[in-house]
Amino acid sequence: MKKIEKHQQRHGFFRWIALALLILTGLAASFIPPVQPDIEAASAEVAGPLFSLPVIGDFYLTNSLIGLVLVDLVIIGLALAVRKILKSGSIPGKSIGGVVIAILEVLFELTEKTAGKWTKKVFPWFATITLTVLVANWLDLIPGVESVGLLVPSATGSAIKTLIPGVLSTITRQTEGTKLYSLISFVRAPSTDLNFTIALSLIAVIGIQAMGLRYRGLSYLRRFFNVSTLFSKPGLGVMDFLVSILELISEFAKIVSFAFRLFGNVFAGMVLIALSGTLLPVFGQSGVLLFELFMGLIQALVFGLLTMVFMSQAMHSEEQEETPKDELPIPVVEG
Amino acid sequence: MTGDIVEAARLIGAGIAMIGALGGGIGIGLSIQGAMQGMARNPDAYSNLFVNMLLGVAFSEAIAIYCLVIAFVILFVV
Repeated sequence: MKKIEKHQQRHGFFRWIALALLILTGLAASFIPPVQPDIEAASAEVAGPLFSLPVIGDFYLTNSLIGLVLVDLVIIGLALAVRKILKSGSIPGKSIGGVVIAILEVLFELTEKTAGKWTKKVFPWFATITLTVLVANWLDLIPGVESVGLLVPSATGSAIKTLIPGVLSTITRQTEGTKLYSLISFVRAPSTDLNFTIALSLIAVIGIQAMGLRYRGLSYLRRFFNVSTLFSKPGLGVMDFLVSILELISEFAKIVSFAFRLFGNVFAGMVLIALSGTLLPVFGQSGVLLFELFMGLIQALVFGLLTMVFMSQAMHSEEQEETPKDELPIPVVEG
Repeated sequence: MTGDIVEAARLIGAGIAMIGALGGGIGIGLSIQGAMQGMARNPDAYSNLFVNMLLGVAFSEAIAIYCLVIAFVILFVV
């Protein structure tokens, strides 16, 4: 009885906090009218060149790198939470580790349906990529991630308004004859940087080829240079060879398609959030944030799912595919 | 004057680039239609169909996303 009362009390308390925040948002929006910030497709450099390599060039500490470090810290924290539950041997309850265990179980069931006997080899790739991309996408939604940073003079920026001299300023509506500044944020979600998505898709595609080569040996290469029927069946053999060359090209298309799908979706979400802050009324942005929460989840799932499906396709050899009857997933009827 | 015309052409170009999203929309609609019909006829196949539907949607969505990326490049980079 006492527990229920406590729960109800907390519920009401949070409700008042939400109401206070809403009123505060309205007041802040009338005090400082929101303006559209500069949107840049490339990540900005926060600190000068850290080190330089002879051919590639200088390496800067970009804001999406800081975001990536934050993502890694969050994932390490999740791993420690899961470890704590597993070591204590208790039933995962309402803790964050329990949520991660539940997510991983769902992903494992998905992998079992597609990968069959290779599940334990494919699952780590799937889960790692999905969790990383999920946290990287959702980093975008935290307030202050893309709106707190250094002000630098630029030609295309906005005028600034000083709130606390030397410490805190904000960009406001442009007036004539003032110096213009633009904002370089400290943290930027890694998925909105093309470098991160291309690196991740290279890891995924190279991982797919490596797993295929490792478990099917050199016969895996027959997928790309199919000369086995070139001389025995002259007409169709040439066709087989051309089809296998197309297969090779489609591997390179996978890199581009992985990278641009994730980048395009999350960058579009970032632009949408930034624009809706200036276009919609005060509470309207919450709907956009909810939509982006959903999109981030779907994109993380799609990136991991495609990696998993391609990888299990690469690992299953053709001989196994011809006798699939007993390996097909049997639909389980529940209830 | 010339700068204004270039700016206007940039914005119109970004708009035209998004016409390609039409194909992605048709593709997503068709694949979801097929999956929904399959689910309605055979509810046991729901989970299998759902995963494959998501994959198909992701593939057709990628085409529309390429258009979006081109539009963003025109708007924010060039």
